[in-house]
Amino acid sequence: MTTLSVVAIRLTRVSIPLTMAHAGSMYVIQKTERTVIELLLENGITGLGETWGTPDVYALAQRYARDWLGRDALDRIALREALGKSSYDNRFGRNGLATLAGLDLAAWDATARSLNMSLAELIGGRKRESIDVVSTLPAAILPRAVSRKELTDHLDVLSNTKLVVQFALEQQRKSGFRSFKLKSAAYSPEWDWKLLNELREAMPRARIRFDPNANYGAATATELCRRLDPLGLEFFEDPTGELEGIARLKAAVKTPVATNMWVVRDEHLVPAIRRQAVDVVLGDLFMWGGIDAWRRMARVAHAYGMKPALHSVYETGIATVANLHLASALPEVEYPNDSGLHFLSSDVLTEPQEVRDGAMRLPTGLGLGVTLDRSKLENVTLEGAEIRA
Amino acid sequence: MAAPVSIAHTHVHSVRIASGAEALVARVLAAGGTAGFGFTLNLDAGVARDMAAWDALGRSKGVPLFGLLGGSYRKAIKAFKDELPAISPDWTALRKDILDGRHELLRIDPFAWGSVEMVQTIAAVAQAFDLSIALLAPNAHPWEIQYCAALAATLKGEDTRIIVRSGSAFSSIPVSENPGMGIDWSVEPSFSKIQWQS
Repeated sequence: MTTLSVVAIRLTRVSIPLTMAHAGSMYVIQKTERTVIELLLENGITGLGETWGTPDVYALAQRYARDWLGRDALDRIALREALGKSSYDNRFGRNGLATLAGLDLAAWDATARSLNMSLAELIGGRKRESIDVVSTLPAAILPRAVSRKELTDHLDVLSNTKLVVQFALEQQRKSGFRSFKLKSAAYSPEWDWKLLNELREAMPRARIRFDPNANYGAATATELCRRLDPLGLEFFEDPTGELEGIARLKAAVKTPVATNMWVVRDEHLVPAIRRQAVDVVLGDLFMWGGIDAWRRMARVAHAYGMKPALHSVYETGIATVANLHLASALPEVEYPNDSGLHFLSSDVLTEPQEVRDGAMRLPTGLGLGVTLDRSKLENVTLEGAEIRA
Repeated sequence: MAAPVSIAHTHVHSVRIASGAEALVARVLAAGGTAGFGFTLNLDAGVARDMAAWDALGRSKGVPLFGLLGGSYRKAIKAFKDELPAISPDWTALRKDILDGRHELLRIDPFAWGSVEMVQTIAAVAQAFDLSIALLAPNAHPWEIQYCAALAATLKGEDTRIIVRSGSAFSSIPVSENPGMGIDWSVEPSFSKIQWQS
């Protein structure tokens, strides 16, 4: 039997500036930090992965990587089980799952390349070559990463909403985006209501999702979302917090309700199903702990009438392309993919991953179908480590 | 959904196996020329074709089924003699019954449910609801048991098992590491006599 023994894992923590400040209710940022993973097999093939770039996750990745040396990448379930059989065994919570997801992605990529398949084919079949993607709209257009006080001062001037509308139209003109996600600072319902009305008027046919990251209380969120219902938004993403609050809100509105915060692990699925809490599980590959876990989530969600969709933050081309492969392979995925890649000032891949006519093409090569550009990687490297026996 | 393999030809033959029963045997010829085989004793050619497609893909890549599906939870599968009925292949009813808490162990006849993908979907739901799966080899034929073992390797849960209607009360079935489904076709002499079209 073919075995794909892991001989080394290389980790590179990178920091990549964003082309503009991005504001939401949880952050105002102007850079993204990620950990790029290279998993080397005995057969000479290297798989690429990526995960969060916090120092905690980077350290955890080194620890997990040591456990993976000598193991068989073909058996990703066994790799995952080596770190614990249940969520109780995961002593590192969300960081543990994100670390696992990054290594798991590299193992899937290495396996697909070794078997002469694209990643989509290994996941379940290459069904689509072009995937619609979503452009994030910051809560406000800001000159730099400002303080919360400066942000709220800006939001107090309601006429500033026009800057976001202009930005959305630029995105539409430049790359043909048909789908947008408005991040909300969850500071002013009046700002959000005015801005979403203006966006709808400016782009009558666009799909627009609205994401306050659960920072509105349930009563405020429900009141706001009821007012927004006539706009026919694509969905309300985490309009408020905890499963119970979001379930009550869903019952009060006609617009679909999505979450990437309250249904993020296996054990959240059944309570969400029983409570009929959401319409869309906007699953993040890194929160769910990897490709197999995401695929299972999609099957379960679809079986009980929820729609799975792919969440993303400001990821490099590696994770962006991984999400394209998932969307291509899984017929359950109908919504456009989140993507923040076009806001990164540079990438780590040789092949540019461009958005044209609001969509990205699935790369045609083996595995992810992309190659790491070592020069680009070096330019954004914070630190690196190679784990080898 | 069948396996992600480019299929050049698919053929199905009816053969008489040693027990006197009729089996349908499917051959899928992948675009690269690798042949894969599948079968059924319940005369539903769909499951045989699906199995043959996965077998062709596994053989062409040199990996067992679990290598294509993401990995394995175990190297051997417990097999029990069990007379309890399998769950009727009605997905709408099963989803509701699971939600209503009517099951603890899902007794699934994979030949009745039609495809590897369907078993994987049931397994995903079972895992979410913390249920286990017992795969029924309805005629306790070695081919059936080997197919069930290949599938059961990929199913989470300590209670995962194969159930048979006859034979010994308990046994342990090794998961084949041979490419494809790992089925030993030679146990039925009639298999080698099939005249496949070129």
